[in-house]
Amino acid sequence: MKLVGLVGTNATTSTNRQLLQYMQQHFAATAQIEIAEIADLPAFNEPESHVAPDSIQALSDQIKAADGVIVATPEYDHSIPAALKSAIEWLSYTTRPLINKPVMIVGASNGALGTSRAQAHLRQILEAPELKALVMPNVEYLLGHSLQAFDDQGNLTDTDKATELANDMTAFLDFVTLTKKITPENKFMEKNQQFSWRQITDGRD
Amino acid sequence: MKLIGIVGTNAKQSYNRELLTYMQRHFKAQAELEILELTDVPLFNETADQAKYPIIQTFNDKIAAADGVVIATPEHNHSVPSALKSIIEWLSFNLHPFDGKPIMLVGASYSVQGSSRAQLHLRQILDAPGVNASVMPGSEFLLGRAQTTFDDHGDLKSAGTVAFLDSCFAKFMKFVTLVQAMAVPDAVSYQPGTYDVTAVGHNGNLPMSVTLSKNRIEDIQIDTSTETKGIAEVAFQRIPKAIIDGQTLAVDAISGASMTSHGVIDGVAEAIKAAGANPDDLKKRQAKTNAAPQNITDITTDVVVVGAGGAGLTAAAKVLQSGRNVLVVEKFPAVGGNTVRAGGPMNAADPDWQHQFDAIPGEKHTLTEITQIDEATIAPEYLADFRALKTQIKAYLKENTDQRGYLFDSTLLHRIQTYLGGKRTDLQGHEIYGQYDLVKVLTDHALESVKWLEKIGVEFDKTQVTMPVGAIWRRGHKPMGDQGFAYIKALQKFVTAHGGRILTETPVQSLTTTDGQVDGLIAKGPNDTKVIVHAKAVILASGGFAANTKMLQQYNTYWTAIDDDIKTTNSPAMTGDGIRLGTSVGADLVGMGFSQMMPVSDPETGELFSGLQVPPQNFVMVNQAGKRFVNEYGSRDELTQAAIDNGSLFYLIADDEIKKTAYNTTQAKLDAQVAAGTLYRADTLVDLAKQLQLDPAVLTKTIADYNSYVDAGEDPEFHKNAFDLKVAVAPFYATPRKPATHHTMGGLKIDTHAHVLNADGQVINGLYAAGEVAGGIHAGNRLGGNSLADIFTFGRIAATQALKDELTVTVD
Repeated sequence: MKLVGLVGTNATTSTNRQLLQYMQQHFAATAQIEIAEIADLPAFNEPESHVAPDSIQALSDQIKAADGVIVATPEYDHSIPAALKSAIEWLSYTTRPLINKPVMIVGASNGALGTSRAQAHLRQILEAPELKALVMPNVEYLLGHSLQAFDDQGNLTDTDKATELANDMTAFLDFVTLTKKITPENKFMEKNQQFSWRQITDGRD
Repeated sequence: MKLIGIVGTNAKQSYNRELLTYMQRHFKAQAELEILELTDVPLFNETADQAKYPIIQTFNDKIAAADGVVIATPEHNHSVPSALKSIIEWLSFNLHPFDGKPIMLVGASYSVQGSSRAQLHLRQILDAPGVNASVMPGSEFLLGRAQTTFDDHGDLKSAGTVAFLDSCFAKFMKFVTLVQAMAVPDAVSYQPGTYDVTAVGHNGNLPMSVTLSKNRIEDIQIDTSTETKGIAEVAFQRIPKAIIDGQTLAVDAISGASMTSHGVIDGVAEAIKAAGANPDDLKKRQAKTNAAPQNITDITTDVVVVGAGGAGLTAAAKVLQSGRNVLVVEKFPAVGGNTVRAGGPMNAADPDWQHQFDAIPGEKHTLTEITQIDEATIAPEYLADFRALKTQIKAYLKENTDQRGYLFDSTLLHRIQTYLGGKRTDLQGHEIYGQYDLVKVLTDHALESVKWLEKIGVEFDKTQVTMPVGAIWRRGHKPMGDQGFAYIKALQKFVTAHGGRILTETPVQSLTTTDGQVDGLIAKGPNDTKVIVHAKAVILASGGFAANTKMLQQYNTYWTAIDDDIKTTNSPAMTGDGIRLGTSVGADLVGMGFSQMMPVSDPETGELFSGLQVPPQNFVMVNQAGKRFVNEYGSRDELTQAAIDNGSLFYLIADDEIKKTAYNTTQAKLDAQVAAGTLYRADTLVDLAKQLQLDPAVLTKTIADYNSYVDAGEDPEFHKNAFDLKVAVAPFYATPRKPATHHTMGGLKIDTHAHVLNADGQVINGLYAAGEVAGGIHAGNRLGGNSLADIFTFGRIAATQALKDELTVTVD
């Protein structure tokens, strides 16, 4: 199975990146996780043209080719970082590769709460009609105190959290398989792949 | 009332902009609403330099000055647009203008939702601790199907909507007044008395007593007797003074001593709490700031020295000895640079003195090995010295065949060891070794530096000859008391007593030149004063760049990787300023790719002198599996590489006897570190292993094996060169260690007279460099104890040469 692991921050060092690298390494037997970065994407500014800039197109193609997406988000001010929101806005505004795409949300933060509020926001965001992602229900992987969570080899030191992540990963792989069965082969064909917030009111979506 | 309105999108067309513009007009009589746009705000990035974007400062200043803020948000994907989120992130990271600021939310959208979900998210975002805004509850203004709601004049068509907006805004006006009342600090009143609390120092907790009267902080006393001298005194003096003068806790930390600064502030906060008051009230209370107009100080002197560490103060003292004027400029508040962080012993071959000491096991072996080195591997310029050294060693070995013998040393051994120790090949296959003429000067004049320092007032402990980590040989002259600070204390006293002037908190911004001759500098003094210095010569003695990780990474050709979060043993001042100044006037650089790691640093702070630091013959290093993994007598690089290969973190194991050989600590410090969990102590090795989460059987066997090697005088596992004590007497200690950046060998290219050279190898007139800012001597690896020898030797040479060239003064 082929998955994209989206690093939800543009920061140079990130425990969310570490978390995805850990998953990439540990679940290599069951899934091939390609890690995607958002650091070099342009800031979204609702341009008149709905054509994706090259870097957005590349990310979009990567997502389209994958069976599912894992988003690892930090929490900034009780929500997801502006950089992640900007990447999502680009995708929703141009190519919309997340339609019916299975998505698992994970998150790591240095505080105790482990991105709980950011994950709730992200879930709501991904379910917006412009995105229509299939966010896996009933799994919430929160990695608190993340600066201390990994050893020097990048392994999770807390075995309970490692087991929990392995279980969530298994559930997600099942979820990906399941959603393939229930979504038609040609999926939900968008009449107009391009989207603008104006269209919601015009009933075109 | 003055309000700021933020258009929550960077889109060209926005109904939220229209809504704010409408409000601006409509409520003109009640408030002045200034509208800010997000168009030029970059995407937030925690690693980007905020200072590069003046727009963020503009937002900060305007919001801080306003009575309240109105945010109009669209809804993108059920949340706020990234552009709006981005400015909030910028304004909750280093700046916090929203703290306690009254905020009204409004929103417009194409759909009937009218930004309902986005507003809820925004409320939650503005409640986050870094933002901490006061968002008006209730009165949710949602403008759905916004494209149908405005007329051609941009006015809201529906009278009902206008009436609701009026009521929301009227409530906000009251809300602003209410929140402002909340922000008025309470009158502070203390339960009078003296409160005993602790301040966090460099080496652990320090006792502090704070005396409070009913309305005032009267006195703050800190017992700094256990503190490393020279590093943080300035914080212990200034922070209490600033707190008492301003009767506030909103005082700025001292650069270079931020940890101790905050330690003092937190300690006083603790006392205030104990006295029944709220420290937060004092943190909000702004100290009176004296925004002095820019002053210009114009100074003319003979020689100006950049940097008040060991090299700079030595050069200054040398200039003063010739009766000339000198000015030292230092960017930090305290003098001492990195020298105050040095362990103390400086290398100088002094055979007459060293002969009084017995050789220790392993030393003869080391000498024999030198004689066996293939001459083909020795660089041609060193060959004659190498052969002469071999003759010396053979004579010594012959003389002492049947006896333990005395400690051998010679200038030649020091030179060849400096050469061999500095020989390295980088990742690109480039070999580097110390430049012969510079190494010769260093080793020929090191002992002279010891004698010169004695005249200045440094007292050396002649009863012991020591070897700092990575020194390879016992030729360390150790000053009495206070480690590296002993040098600074004596030099500073000499410089000030002889009329030398030292300006602290004065970072140099640029050098000045006239017709290619360096003739002064421009610096920034305290309170934004501009300091212009005219001098006949400029001596750069500003240290290396071990505290500048970006610069290390930029030049690095030696280590496979340097982590972004690597710690340093250095003063945070070591950011390569002198290298920048030198290259700005055309100086050439040499050996910049080679940096040295200190393998035995504190894992959390990079600090060298926490825990138990003992001579390497008493080092017993075990990895996280409880096993030895390296020849503890090895070079720093060998130790560092071995540590990296073993997961970086390792432990120094010591017993009660080994503890007595530590040169860095006292029982009180050790007890404090054990209590703080940064040092481990146990009555048995089994207990020690348990504390370290090691297998007790493994650690016990490791130590038993080690002890047997000490008895046998030979280590078949790692071939440790020299031993001293066994690990046998309880209690046992384990000091956790990790490599940290320690020294940068590369720097400005100099000649033997400390002239700075340009790319064509020509002298840059008027410019000299001494110490770590210069390159070429230590090449790929600096021997422990050689940097002190370097700074005191080349510091003297730089001053002597500057006097000779520019002031026609001849110094002996």
